[in-house]
Amino acid sequence: MSYQVTTSFIGILLAGAILYLVRRDHLHGPYALWWLVVAGITIVLGLFPRTIDLIAGYTGVSYPPNLLFSLAIGMLLLKMLKSDIESSRHERRIRRLGQKMAILAEENLRLQAEIEADRTGESRRASGR
Amino acid sequence: MKTGGKIHSYKVHFGDLDDVTTRSGRCYRIAGPKNRSDFLVVIPARNEERTVGAVVSDIRSRHACCVVVVDDASTDRTGAVAATAGAAVLKLPFSMGAWCATQAGLRYALQYGYRYVVTMDADGQHHARSVNKILQAVVSGRTDVAVGACPHRLSAAKRVAWAYFRLLTRLSIRDFTSGLRAYNLRAIKVLGRRYASLLDYQDIGVLMLLQRQGITIEEVPVTMSARKAGHSRVFSSWFVVAQYMMQTTVLCVSRLGPRRRHNAEAA
Repeated sequence: MSYQVTTSFIGILLAGAILYLVRRDHLHGPYALWWLVVAGITIVLGLFPRTIDLIAGYTGVSYPPNLLFSLAIGMLLLKMLKSDIESSRHERRIRRLGQKMAILAEENLRLQAEIEADRTGESRRASGR
Repeated sequence: MKTGGKIHSYKVHFGDLDDVTTRSGRCYRIAGPKNRSDFLVVIPARNEERTVGAVVSDIRSRHACCVVVVDDASTDRTGAVAATAGAAVLKLPFSMGAWCATQAGLRYALQYGYRYVVTMDADGQHHARSVNKILQAVVSGRTDVAVGACPHRLSAAKRVAWAYFRLLTRLSIRDFTSGLRAYNLRAIKVLGRRYASLLDYQDIGVLMLLQRQGITIEEVPVTMSARKAGHSRVFSSWFVVAQYMMQTTVLCVSRLGPRRRHNAEAA
């Protein structure tokens, strides 16, 4: 069996899984686009593994798998960095949202008490009249 | 409905979620707390039901001011105890640490137009009689921020740690972690902003932020008592201490260098 069958199988499986998840709306906007690009690359590299040898030849890398792995690790690190930045942003937003919610809840409670006091005052005045 | 018209006369603010600018005088007088004074006392509290009540009533017996207890998602009755003692309670929906709890109080102060905020711990180690002293330092215009410090109560480990951070930050403060502080409006505005919402501790990150904005910080010696209950959140275990030291070092190093424009765009 040719190794190309193995790589095609892995590539198609990966791309299929990604496509399935994107289609199920588990990822939104920019993430979906990123993962579709990844799926495309896995299919190309899976069906035509020699592509990497070709690129290695152009870029002067003598051992092609090294090029593949360095690129893959580099991309993954960048992606992780980006997702940490994003989760910091979310943390900040959610904290501020929580603070604002607490402030509004307190205000709401105070206004309700005021309204209640007004209402009982009014009914007392009405019954006194 | 009889009261229908009445309800509409209340001015309620459902402003932009990040809008912390001071409201106009008319609005906050209607929506703000009843016993208004120039300053607000903010007490962040997490699971302090045993002490928070005494702390609140002690302040209220000395000052005719509003006390806000920020309940950092306590699992005990902290919020209820504080409310019974006469504090306004901000109940955070999830725990976000002492600093962000304090920040919620600062944003509350901004919303209702207070000019000064005094923060103190809920565990009873700060005395209500110290409030006047640190508040005076700020109200007199001597400084923008006053930190109530009690340097001789520090342990040897803390002294070493603080000496190290003083070296890194060039802050001239001996007691970094003191939660007894007074802020004026200028400092409150800076600390209410978004970039202060990702700080986890109220000490060095907050002080450096103030320093970079050109806000003056002064230490005021006060007496403090040993904690009645609970323990320091930072100095609880070696693992936490190591984590804290490293995180704060990174924070210090990343903020070194010339002053950057922080207020231009709140990233």
